[in-house]
Amino acid sequence: MTFVRQAGAIAAKDLRIEIRGRHGLGTVLPFAATLLIAFGLSIGPGRSLLQRTAPGLLWLAMLFASVLAFRRTYEAEGEDGALEGLVLAPIDKAAVFLGKAAAVAAQLVVLWVAVLLLVSALFDLSLGGDVAVVVAACLLGTVGLAAVGSLFGVLTESPRAREAVVPLLVLPLAVPVLLSGVKATSLALAGLGSQAGGWLGLLVAFDVVFLAAGTIVFEHLLED
Amino acid sequence: MGVPTGERLMGKATARRGERILGWTSLVAVAVTLIMSLLVVPPDASQGNVQRLMYVHVPAAWLAYLSFFVVFVSSIAYLVTKRIRWDRLAAASAEAGVLFTALTIALGMLWGKPVWGAWWTWDPRLTTTAILLLLYIGYLAVRRLPESPARRARWAAVVGIVAFVDVPIVQLSVTWWRSLHQGPTVRLLGTSTIAPIMLTTLLIAVGAFTVLYCYLIVLRLRVGRLEERAVAEALSPRIGVPVADVMDAPGEEAVARG
Amino acid sequence: MAPSSTSNALLTAPNEPSTSIEDSAVSLSRVTRIFGVTPALVRVDLEVARGEVLLVRGPNGAGKSTLLGVLATTLAPTYGSGSVLGFALDRGRDQIRRRMELIGHHTRLYEDLTARENLRFWASLFGGDTSRVDPALEAVGLGPAGDDRVRGYSQGMRQRVAVARALLREPELLLLDEPYAGLDEEAKASVDGLIDETAARGATVVLATHDPTRGGAAGRTLYMDAGRIVPDPMAGGRAP
Repeated sequence: MTFVRQAGAIAAKDLRIEIRGRHGLGTVLPFAATLLIAFGLSIGPGRSLLQRTAPGLLWLAMLFASVLAFRRTYEAEGEDGALEGLVLAPIDKAAVFLGKAAAVAAQLVVLWVAVLLLVSALFDLSLGGDVAVVVAACLLGTVGLAAVGSLFGVLTESPRAREAVVPLLVLPLAVPVLLSGVKATSLALAGLGSQAGGWLGLLVAFDVVFLAAGTIVFEHLLED
Repeated sequence: MGVPTGERLMGKATARRGERILGWTSLVAVAVTLIMSLLVVPPDASQGNVQRLMYVHVPAAWLAYLSFFVVFVSSIAYLVTKRIRWDRLAAASAEAGVLFTALTIALGMLWGKPVWGAWWTWDPRLTTTAILLLLYIGYLAVRRLPESPARRARWAAVVGIVAFVDVPIVQLSVTWWRSLHQGPTVRLLGTSTIAPIMLTTLLIAVGAFTVLYCYLIVLRLRVGRLEERAVAEALSPRIGVPVADVMDAPGEEAVARG
Repeated sequence: MAPSSTSNALLTAPNEPSTSIEDSAVSLSRVTRIFGVTPALVRVDLEVARGEVLLVRGPNGAGKSTLLGVLATTLAPTYGSGSVLGFALDRGRDQIRRRMELIGHHTRLYEDLTARENLRFWASLFGGDTSRVDPALEAVGLGPAGDDRVRGYSQGMRQRVAVARALLREPELLLLDEPYAGLDEEAKASVDGLIDETAARGATVVLATHDPTRGGAAGRTLYMDAGRIVPDPMAGGRAP
């Protein structure tokens, strides 16, 4: 069975579980909404200030909410020890990484769109400008987050890992995604998408580096 | 490791002597640095005496990043060779690195308050160093997770490699982000020229702190081995494996040696 | 009880059939496994011939699960070496995994998927042939329930899914770690059926269980205590 088909089988399985269980809808999205409301309460209610900070709050909410999504993606593996099953299967462990990253990236894209709509409603952000750049920022940013989260989400398997370690690792590592995403998004929404090229390039570099690194080292996190 | 006991003992004695020499050298070197930076070097033309902090801040920053590089290289070495000594080096370097990173940030802030009037101005290099500190803390947190030494070494190695690879990207992104609003940055000197005595002092400082780093590593490795020896001596009779092998191979290389 | 291979009975210790390495299903040499500072396996030497049905008994904490974990390649030995089905434990893991099936403490199922979907996923990891999924579910009596989510299953039903999973392939080595815990009689019978079917094929079975009513198919019994293989604690009068 080829590598791509292995990764595809794993991605399909993860997505089917997510659609079936609706945990994203049930937990992650409400959490993002709560964050946005909290942000709004703590910064606002001055309209212009909220408008200016909106792209930042969008990506901030994404960053925090995505940690929940990463934990969820490995929770399903932990319920009956299914992760051991993935170890026992004679497949390339890198396929597990890429498959899970693909599945969680898809979920993050949906989350991002929902958060964008929420932000535009709560903070009076006008949607428009260079849509292509907005879309590119969304896709590249979520792929980068997905790579980091799928790699270190495995650590939640440790009995002592629990809450703090994954966010502690993911958030500093994802700073380039945060910065580039915010800059590219705010430039694009202001119609200045042509200036966002450097930021998008940075996102591409981040994605390539983390996907490559994850592919190489993932099996060391999984195997005993 | 079938080294005869006699050679091992002599090796240990030489190692202890070497460690002591290293310790005294670093003490002297740091003392010289302090004397030169506080007394010998003239105050900077525009920044005044505060600029003297740079003679410690710059070496500390150099070591903060050098330590992380050592973590990176040792982590790769561990994953490739599976010899536990590389993991020990990575752990020791991370612990030293945290100290130097915290020192860098503290001195940077102490310098910034009188010069800029603010404790923090999101200077790109200081900001990257702050993120580096968080990455170090994350690395050390991961080291506390697994029970099995081999798994701990492997997980830590993965974090060490991935985090290091991220640092240049973080640096680039923060620098670009900051360059949009050019603000005050940490400058070694107020003036544009550097007097020879200042350069000399700076180089001595960098050298002194590097020697200090090496001493801290050697010290930490020895303390670590003492801890592991205590555990190994308790474990060895229960499993019938010689103490030396227990200490050297809580990893997969033991499988090959049988 | 005679060892299952041809050998000079005078030359072999009571607990060890003499087999050449090529004939071995399992060959462990001084395998030791430590968790933190706790030794779970201590210098275990073990030979299991192909086609044997080996029963492993011992109190809690004896190391039975750890031993099976090492055989299943989910745990690496801290010291020592070994081979399973002719492949080395450190280098031949994927080859071992391809030929081995483990029924362990965890059922390794995805709660939000149906039994059928779980099995199809497992089959897809081994090459994509899903034609045996439906017959396997029928064989364990889960045909009609196969399209319900596993989350609603009883422990017995879950273990039967695990049995069905083992039926998807014909593993050369079947490992079972306390498979009977918490099962109803029908599910226990399902597990027994799998063991019998596997042994009848000439494949090797290693079964670790507390349950004194089980393990009748075993040709040999291994006793473990405190991480070591120990002589039969009941020796002296009772045939193993």
